[in-house]
Amino acid sequence: MSDLTSTLLSLGTRQPRERRVFDAIVVGSGISGGWAAKELTERGLETVVLEAGGPIDFGGKDFTEHVQSYELKYRGWGDRNTIAKTQPIQGQCYACDEAGHKFFVNDFENPYTTPDNAPFKWFRGRQVGGRSIMWGRQVYRWSDLDFEANAKDGHGTDWPIRYKDIAPWYSHVERFIGITGAKEGLSQLPDGEFLPAMQMTVVERAARENILKKFGGERVLTIGRAAVLTQNHNGRAACHYCGPCERGCVTHSYFNSIGSTLPAAKKTGRLTLRPHSVVTEVLFDAKRGRARGVRVIDAVTMQEHIFEAKVVFLCASAIESVRLLLNSKSTRFPDGFANSSGTLGKYVMDHHYGSGAGGTFPGFLDKRTEGRRPNGIYVARFRNVTSASKDFVRGYGMQGGSSRGGWGRGSGMRGYGAAFKQSLIDDLGPWGLSVGGWGETLPYEDNTITLDPTVKDKWGVPAARINVTWRENEIAMNKDIIASGVELMEAAGCTDVRPSRTMHPPGHCIHEMGGARMAKTAKEGVLNGWNQSWDVPNLFITDGSAMASTACQNPSITYMALTARAAAHAVAELKRRSL
Amino acid sequence: MERRDFLRAAAAAAALSLVPHEAEAQAARAWATLAAPASPDLPVAPLSEAHRAIIRTVADAIIPRTDSPGANDVNVLGWIEVIAQDYYTDAERTALTTGLDAMDALSRQLTQQPLAGLAGAPLAQVMDALDAPTDRTTPAARGYSRLKGLVIHGYFTSERVQKDVLKTQIMPGRFNGAADMPTKGAGRDE
Ligand SMILES: Cc1cc2nc3c(=O)[nH]c(=O)nc-3n(C[C@H](O)[C@H](O)[C@H](O)COP(=O)(O)OP(=O)(O)OC[C@H]3O[C@@H](n4cnc5c(N)ncnc54)[C@H](O)[C@@H]3O)c2cc1C
Ligand code: SF4
Repeated sequence: MSDLTSTLLSLGTRQPRERRVFDAIVVGSGISGGWAAKELTERGLETVVLEAGGPIDFGGKDFTEHVQSYELKYRGWGDRNTIAKTQPIQGQCYACDEAGHKFFVNDFENPYTTPDNAPFKWFRGRQVGGRSIMWGRQVYRWSDLDFEANAKDGHGTDWPIRYKDIAPWYSHVERFIGITGAKEGLSQLPDGEFLPAMQMTVVERAARENILKKFGGERVLTIGRAAVLTQNHNGRAACHYCGPCERGCVTHSYFNSIGSTLPAAKKTGRLTLRPHSVVTEVLFDAKRGRARGVRVIDAVTMQEHIFEAKVVFLCASAIESVRLLLNSKSTRFPDGFANSSGTLGKYVMDHHYGSGAGGTFPGFLDKRTEGRRPNGIYVARFRNVTSASKDFVRGYGMQGGSSRGGWGRGSGMRGYGAAFKQSLIDDLGPWGLSVGGWGETLPYEDNTITLDPTVKDKWGVPAARINVTWRENEIAMNKDIIASGVELMEAAGCTDVRPSRTMHPPGHCIHEMGGARMAKTAKEGVLNGWNQSWDVPNLFITDGSAMASTACQNPSITYMALTARAAAHAVAELKRRSL
Repeated sequence: MERRDFLRAAAAAAALSLVPHEAEAQAARAWATLAAPASPDLPVAPLSEAHRAIIRTVADAIIPRTDSPGANDVNVLGWIEVIAQDYYTDAERTALTTGLDAMDALSRQLTQQPLAGLAGAPLAQVMDALDAPTDRTTPAARGYSRLKGLVIHGYFTSERVQKDVLKTQIMPGRFNGAADMPTKGAGRDE
């Protein structure tokens, strides 16, 4: 058994010793928790990661990316009766399918509430690895355009950091996790440290050239930037292009915390990983003005435990961390932990998405794809960069892809019999190309998370009440996405171009952010520029709740970079004895 | 939510003009999933032998045995029964059986024979009427469209077809975005 394999296999098993006092506590083992664990242990801290969910067997029965349709009872259509009974909300996410639904929470054990007129979709994973198991792996750096936006147009509060503060940390993260992508030299979408790019299809290449020509280089269609290895890297194997990554990846060819950051933390000998540990409260040491530790309910035995540490990192995901803080009340913080600003639970955001356009791409019928590329194409933001919109502020990026119809087109085609059958076997139909927008949303004070007064989860913790709605800016931007999607498809060379007019409710994009935002002063936000609580210096929150705006790029790489940076800062402060 | 999700959403919204009917079917399935009430765990009556016989006849008419297996060779009926019994709502199951009955009635009207077991020219006459109807809203046309989708999905996702006909590679080990089309019958990996 290789070192890596044995490290991986031992991850997620309960540690024999029940030590309760650590240098650091990390709540959550997902994308940000994994990074906190790696950086804190590598910098010398004895760290416990408290994870509400259980371990997963990624070498065996739990990772099912190679399971074929004929091995599934419903051949990929999904076990909808089971999902309807236990996961009516999670089942609305594409990745919560027949093979992968075990990576999503049980909606009845994990309830949340919304006002009737403000639906919110909250898609969650509770297991060692969190949503790093099922995420789509798209990773795009933010730029100064994003960090300066609040200050420039006055929506939300100014970020206390700029691109130069985080750029080296993006590089640090990218070098470790491995990102495939192509450098484009765009100021609004800074290049990263990339492994070789995945190939575009013939159609995407042609579309890129046509679009560049038509828009004079203003609109750039590039290959997606994804946390997937195109060559062996850091002890992990290159992708073998099997396709359904959201069901797991036995070779850990895409980044997830159980294949990358947690094994690195484990290697230091300073990691204690405790699954089935539902953190219910952050405890306050009023004398020292510090977080003392956390209260935990063992999800299996329902017993209560206290864990103590010099520093506490909350990485439970945006809404969960806010819920936890709201549930941690004391005389000093009657409205939620570290909430002297009164901003805790406010300015909650998600990207809006769903609209775009698609069309038929004529020609190239002698070409097809080989292998299933776990990545798509990306159109970098172009609105309010070089061309201004009079209807909205900020911008959007577009993601999409191309493919040929294959046998799936058969049920919509006329024909039957031998020739029909052979055409479905031998021909693939025309190429299709499509893009959809991922739009920035503004931080509104009254888009909120509070605690529901009556509903509790299985462990007795009050459920989150989420009240988030789209406003004029998002709706105007969504309209523009449809129009420019059509323009792009036409410029690309498509025929039969059709707009897609959908605007999913908030949450659906699974990029929930805000609620414990960073700000320049203690009055304006919960965290300073180091993801450190203004009120309680040994408390750090490094998941999406820290975000003061959303940009339009997928956010998780920014959480990783901020987490690594915050961990380095915390350790330095500990060494200086200022925590 | 990411690219795959968008692609699915786009397909469901018929943004991809390639496969409007498949897209509509996907959208219908997605909505049916959302609307599906928690199933009451009651045993559902299996399809009747008469319905099974109609499915066998039409399935092999759509995908006959050639130098590769036909629909019945890979037991498409078995897959359709799983869907009818465990997956469909009562309303969807009724729509399927009503559709099968309407197709049978059409056969009796056109050929004076039941659809089950029909062969040769009379079968071709019924299939032509079903496959290219002037009125797509009739129960027979709707039933046929539903059945055709099931047959094609069941056939192409079966083990034999995946392995021997499409020659799907589970781990291709590479991605080529501009591969040549294979020669006929060489299989392909989608
Ligand atoms: C299908 C899908 C596709 C996505 N695609 C992308 C993408 O392409 N690009 C991108 O940037 N983002 C994507 N995302 C979003 C991305 O997964 C999240 O932004 C990211 O995982 C957030 O990281 P996190 O560490 O904050 O939370 P998570 O990864 O969700 O981890 C949080 C962990 O904390 C644990 N936890 C929660 N509460 C408690 C508690 N009280 N006590 C102890 N433990 C607790 C949870 O069990 C979980 O394991 C996608 C998500 C999904 C589901
Ligand atoms: S990353 Fe590559 S090898 Fe891993 S599941 Fe995705 S496609 Fe398969």
